[in-house]
This record gives sequence, structure tokens and C-alpha cells, in this order.
Amino acid sequence: MAKKAKSSGGKKGQAPAGKLFMTMALLALIPFSLPTMLLLFAGMLPTLVAALTDRSASRYAWICVGGCNFAGLCPAVLNLWFGHHEITYALHLVTSVRVMLMSYLAAAGGWGLYFIAPPIVLTVMAATSKRRAAVLTSQLKKLEEEWGAEVQQKAAMAVAADEL
Amino acid sequence: MPNDKEKGSGAVVTLRDRFLIFPATPLPQFATPSAQAFAAEDRRERDKEVFALIVKPGYTARTQLLRVLKGVDNAGLMTLVEWGTVDWPPAGRKVMALVYMKPLGGCVWDPKAGAAFKRLDEGEITRKVIAPAVAALKFLRAQSLTHRAIRPTNMFWATPERDRVVFGDAAAAPPAFEQPAALEPVESAISMPAGRGDGTIANDIYSFGASLALLIQNRDAAAFSNEEALNRHKMVMGSYSALAGEARMPLALVEILRGTLCDDPNERWDTEGMDLWLSGRRLTPLVPRIEKRAVRAFSLSGKDYMTARELAMGIASVWDAALAQIGESKLETWLTRAMDNKGKAEAVAGLLGGDAMDPERRTAADTTIAKVCMLLDPMAPIRYKNLSVMVDGYRWLLPMAMANGGDVRTIAESLMRELPKAWYETREAYNPDNSVMDSGFRTQKGYLDRGVIGNGIERVVYEMNESVPCLSPMVVEEYVLEMRDLLPALNAYAKRKGDTNPALPIDRHIAAFVAARANFDVERIIGDLSTNDDGRKIMAMINLLAMIQWRVGVTGLTSLTMWLAHIAKPAVAGFHNRDKRKELEEALPRAGKEGNIVELSRLLDSADERGADIRGFEEAKQAWLEAYRSVRDIVEGHEDLREEAAKTGAQIASLISITIAFVAISVSLVRMIF
Repeated sequence: MAKKAKSSGGKKGQAPAGKLFMTMALLALIPFSLPTMLLLFAGMLPTLVAALTDRSASRYAWICVGGCNFAGLCPAVLNLWFGHHEITYALHLVTSVRVMLMSYLAAAGGWGLYFIAPPIVLTVMAATSKRRAAVLTSQLKKLEEEWGAEVQQKAAMAVAADEL
Repeated sequence: MPNDKEKGSGAVVTLRDRFLIFPATPLPQFATPSAQAFAAEDRRERDKEVFALIVKPGYTARTQLLRVLKGVDNAGLMTLVEWGTVDWPPAGRKVMALVYMKPLGGCVWDPKAGAAFKRLDEGEITRKVIAPAVAALKFLRAQSLTHRAIRPTNMFWATPERDRVVFGDAAAAPPAFEQPAALEPVESAISMPAGRGDGTIANDIYSFGASLALLIQNRDAAAFSNEEALNRHKMVMGSYSALAGEARMPLALVEILRGTLCDDPNERWDTEGMDLWLSGRRLTPLVPRIEKRAVRAFSLSGKDYMTARELAMGIASVWDAALAQIGESKLETWLTRAMDNKGKAEAVAGLLGGDAMDPERRTAADTTIAKVCMLLDPMAPIRYKNLSVMVDGYRWLLPMAMANGGDVRTIAESLMRELPKAWYETREAYNPDNSVMDSGFRTQKGYLDRGVIGNGIERVVYEMNESVPCLSPMVVEEYVLEMRDLLPALNAYAKRKGDTNPALPIDRHIAAFVAARANFDVERIIGDLSTNDDGRKIMAMINLLAMIQWRVGVTGLTSLTMWLAHIAKPAVAGFHNRDKRKELEEALPRAGKEGNIVELSRLLDSADERGADIRGFEEAKQAWLEAYRSVRDIVEGHEDLREEAAKTGAQIASLISITIAFVAISVSLVRMIF
């Protein structure tokens, strides 16, 4: 236990250091790519919100939203990089209704994707359960044929314990 | 004419491919109560006059004696030419056959033919009877063996001229089994015939002296109808008085008769004394030591006893009623006042003291009486209930009782209650041999205490006596004396009973026989025979027989192996895997036909195969359990797919989203470039 606690304590110690390093690196980049950072901050706000509000264990929401969000914003980002990489042009893009609308609608599409995928998967899984039960039943029969009824009898105690 | 060569005819039985025995030509003049005699012929030396003794089933032949006597040419012994087991058609089984050189002068005493011993003069008796007898006794003593069958009816004239007497067969029955009580020392005479034990050369010397005394008087040993009276006479007045006292014995022979008939075995002449006498040195005749008489008799069940030895005999004869009559200090008082033997009185008081009604004492009453008898007559055999056995006679009494339906229980009880130990404790002088024998009895008690197959009374029988053939009903007809004979005997049994015989091949007798005779470690396998698991038990039997086959190298045991393959089904069922079982069921008959028990054992009991089967079964159980739970959840609707669907859905959505991002980047880049 002590060992486990020690090792988990060590990981906790490493995570803030990593985050700190990442933050420092980003801050160091700001002076050189301030226009990009400004555009990304404004355009990727839905992703930031998704990352902050996602309470699920898998935390896939920000990836899902972020992917679509960036897909909507990427023409403006490329324009900035290949056009005038200046703060004024960046402000022009940020204040462009078309750019922001595209970016946010795409993020909304990402949310939509995030919410609609699990019910579809559930429906598919439910549909395949019967098939799975049939496969498992044949597997049970095969085990009984190969090892005799004892394999069932010996496991019966565990099953009874389950039911209790 | 006894010296005529009897030619055999009819059916022939062959011993060791050399000696022909003719069952249709009996020779009653050479027969003994335990063995029939038949004409025989030596194929290599047809002029040699031989005859065969066929030991009757149920009698234990003395193989230790046979091994030593084979081929021995001694002036006083009938020459044993060959011995071994033969198929004996009249009995429908194997029996022990002993082939002897035929004594050509006939029997010295033949009560059936009414022949009488022709009076010889003293010189002739010395030359023709005593001299060869001394030669025989000296040889037996040198070999640490005893004859124990010296009696007029078993003494023969070796030549047609009748110039030399030889002792007849001694090995066809347990020691002294056929001896008339008159020819045995008192302690041996009051023992059960099968329980007289090997004894010492002193017993043989006594029997010879007694035989000589009766032959000189022309008296029949069987004429002493009242054995008890004779024994009491011997105890009180001495054996010389009982056997020769009333007759006029030749003066020259009185000395040797008194010397050989001395009742104290320590004072009795030995072979050196007899040799000295033969060479002409005359010794002072021994004066019989008269048993100390009491000043008043001890009355027991209406009979009066004047000596302690007689009283011990009387107590043994009224066993159940004895304790009440010797208790309450009656015996102690008699020993103190009438016998003036305070030491014995105290010892008896120690045994009989305390509350006679105490349940523990009542349970031990039989042991107490046995010990009282030992104290009163230390020379006497161990007496216990209806048992009367010399301490070295257990090894002969037990197999005889077992083979003939005797009272084995009482014998086992006496061993369990450590009566031999009590007997040794009452010895007046220390004898290192006694310590060795006592230790042997402790080992036997250990076997009796364990009781499970491979131990018990059966083990004791085979451990105590190497002459005892295996008494299992399965192989008793095959006269199995040694390990190498066991598997062929079982094979013959399997052949008679067929391959589908449901009986098991190892019973208590066979297990005990193997445990006692094996010169390799079988105790672990023997231990497995007592398990309640049929599969393990059968596997232990097959492994044991395989080990014997491997050790002794017997092959061609097809019937036995087929039988084992048939009964091995529970052992096959020990495997969980059905494919393995099927494979074994196909392989077993093949191994059976080859007669190879070792291969059968390897197939059924390979440690690797067993280990793999057990591991596979454990994995199968786990897999079955998991599959069963999944099916149950699906069928009963307990399966919770939502969590898994949410996780999988989110993953899929993320994947699609990232793909869209890459596509968008790629399209935008292309548009920028072109």
C-alpha cells in the first residue's frame, strides 16, 4: 500500500510539472505568433468550453468538438498564415461574422456528433446481442462436450454465489 | 519288497524338465500325514532311485530348509534331490513337490503294515542308528536349522542291507507338526501342532532320544493315548521316567538316553556330547531334575495340582473359569505357603491385584491369565484362550490357520496384546536373540495396528515367514512363493475369468505379499490402495503391477493386461478431457494385447498429461463461467450496454471529428496552393 501510495504520489508530482512546462512553452510562443493565438483563442472557444464542462470518465467531448471546431476555423488560420500574419488581420478575421459563424457551427456539429453517436452505437449493440448470445451458447456447449458436464457442475457454485 | 524299484506308469508330471512324477503310482510307505508319495524318475540318471513327496494343499512347506538341504549328502539324512512347484492334475492346481533319493531298506517303523522294530544289539544301534543320526544333527546345527520331524515312522533304512538309518522328510509340514506328543519336549508337546515353532537343535536331540527309547522298547509313539497324563508325568518325574522308566534299557544306552531326554534344554546333551559318547567317552548320566512339589495341592475345577507347571497347564485347560479360582490372593497364598516361592507370589499378586470387577481389568482378564501361566511355567508356550503356541511358532501357526480356516482372530489378538513381549519379559536369563525377536514382534504389531490393505494380519503372515505362498483366492492355486511368480499367476487367473472380470486384481493378501516380498520401495503405492477414490485405487494397482513387471521382467501377460485395461475405466474417467478419454479408450486395448502393464501405466498415469488435463480443465471452468454469465445477462436483459455504448460512441464520434479536421485542413491547403 505504502509503495502504491508512493508511486501515485510521484505521478501527481509529475503532472503539474508537465503542465507547467507546456504553459511556459505556449507563453514563450505568444510574442512570435500572437495573431494566430488570438484567432485560435476566439475561434476555438467552444472547444475550451467543452474541455471545461466535460465530466465524463473518457473525456472525449473536447476531442470531438475540437476536431470539428478546428475544421471550421482552419481556412481562416491558413489565410492568416499564408496572407498577412499581423495582429490587425487577425482582429479582422475575429470580427468577421462569416469566419466565427463557420467555426461555431462546425463546433455545434461536433457537439451534435458527440451526442448522436452513443445512441446509434447502443442500437447497433442491442441488435447484435442476440447473435452474441447464440455464439456464447455454442461456446458453452463446446466446452461441455470437450470437458464433460463437470465443467458446468464445478462452476455452478460460483453461479449460485452470483445469484445470492 | 521295499527295495524293489517301483516303476511309474500313466500320466506324468514334470518337475524342472528333469524329474518325472507318476500320479498314478503312489508309494504309501513313504507318505506322511501332510504329503503323499509317488513314484518318480530322473530323466538324466534313469538308474537313480528317487520318489516324490507331493505336499497337500493347506500345508506350508519349509522352503528355508529345502534350500539348504537340496543336494546335501549326509549319512543321517534322506537326500533331497530337487524341489519346486508342479501342476498337479489330481488336485487341479499347483503343489509343492519334493524329490528324494529313495531309502532302499524301507521304514524303520511302519504301524500300517504292523511291522515291528527288530531288536538290534547295542553295538548295532550305536553304529546303524545313533552314528548317522549324530551326523545329521551336527549338519543341521552347523546350518542353524532344525529337523523337527524325527520319529520312528519317519526314519528309514538307507540301504537294502539295513546298515544305516536316515531321517525322512522334514520340510513338507511346519516344524514338529506331525510329531506325536510323546516324542516332543513337554513345552512343545503342549503347544498346538502347527505352533511348535522351529525350536533349537535341542528339540531334535530330544525327539531322537525319545524315538530311540521307544524303538528299543518296540513301543508305538501313538500308543500314548492320554497326552495330558503323559505330559504331567514328564513334568513331575521327567521324560526318561515317562518314556523309558518302566523298561529295561540296555545299560550302554542309558547314558545317551538320559542325556538326550533331559527336560532342561540347557542341560540336555548337545551334538558335541553325543559325538563324545560315540567316540567312547563315557559321561556321568544326568540325574533328572524333579519339579518342586507343593506341600499341599492347589485345587482347580476339581483337579489337584502339586507343581507350578502342572497348575499352569490346568489353568490353560479351564481358561474361562480360571480367573475366579486363582483370584482373591488364593494363588498368591498357595505360592507363598505351599510352594515357598515368595518371588513368584509377588509377581502373581502384581498381576491379579486390584479390583477384579474393574471393567478395564475384566477386559484384560485373558491377558492376565496368559501372564500368570507364563510366570508359573516360563518354559511353556504362550497360552491365550484356546491358543497354545511357542513364541517362534507364530510364523507357522498363522499361515496354517489362515489357509485352513482356523482361529486367526485369537492369534491376532494375542499379538495385539503383546503377549510375545510379556513372554520375553519372563525369561530368567538374558538372550540377545530374544531382543531381536521381540523387536520383530513390535514391527508385526505395527502392521496389525495399521490394518488397511497392505498391512493387517495378512502382512504379518508374509513378513514372519518367507515359506508362505500367497494365500489370495485369486492365486492360491498357483502356489506363488516369490514375486516373479505373482504376475504369471494373476495372468492365469485372468485367463480363467475372462477379460471382462469386474474384480480388482489386488486384494489384501496380494498387497501384503508384495509389501513383504518386494526388495524395492512399494509403500507409497501400497498406501494409495487404501484410498476411497476408485480411480486412484485402480491406478495404484496398475502402477504396482507395472512396477513388479518392470522389476522382474516378465512379459506376455496378455490376459492380465487386458483385464487391467478393462477395469481401468474409472482411471480413464480421472481425465476431464473427453478427447483424451477417447484417445485412451482406443489405446488401452492395444496396450492390453501387447501384455505390457508398464505401457498401460504410462498411458494412464503420465504426470505431464495429468497436469495438462488439470490446467485445461481449470481454464475451461473459468471460460464456461464467463460465457454463462454473459449469456444469462443477455437473455435476462441484465446486460448494461449503455455505458459501453456511450464509451464506444464517444470514441467513434472523436474519430469522425478528427477525420473531418484533417480533411478540412487538406482541402484548405490544396485550395491555398492551387
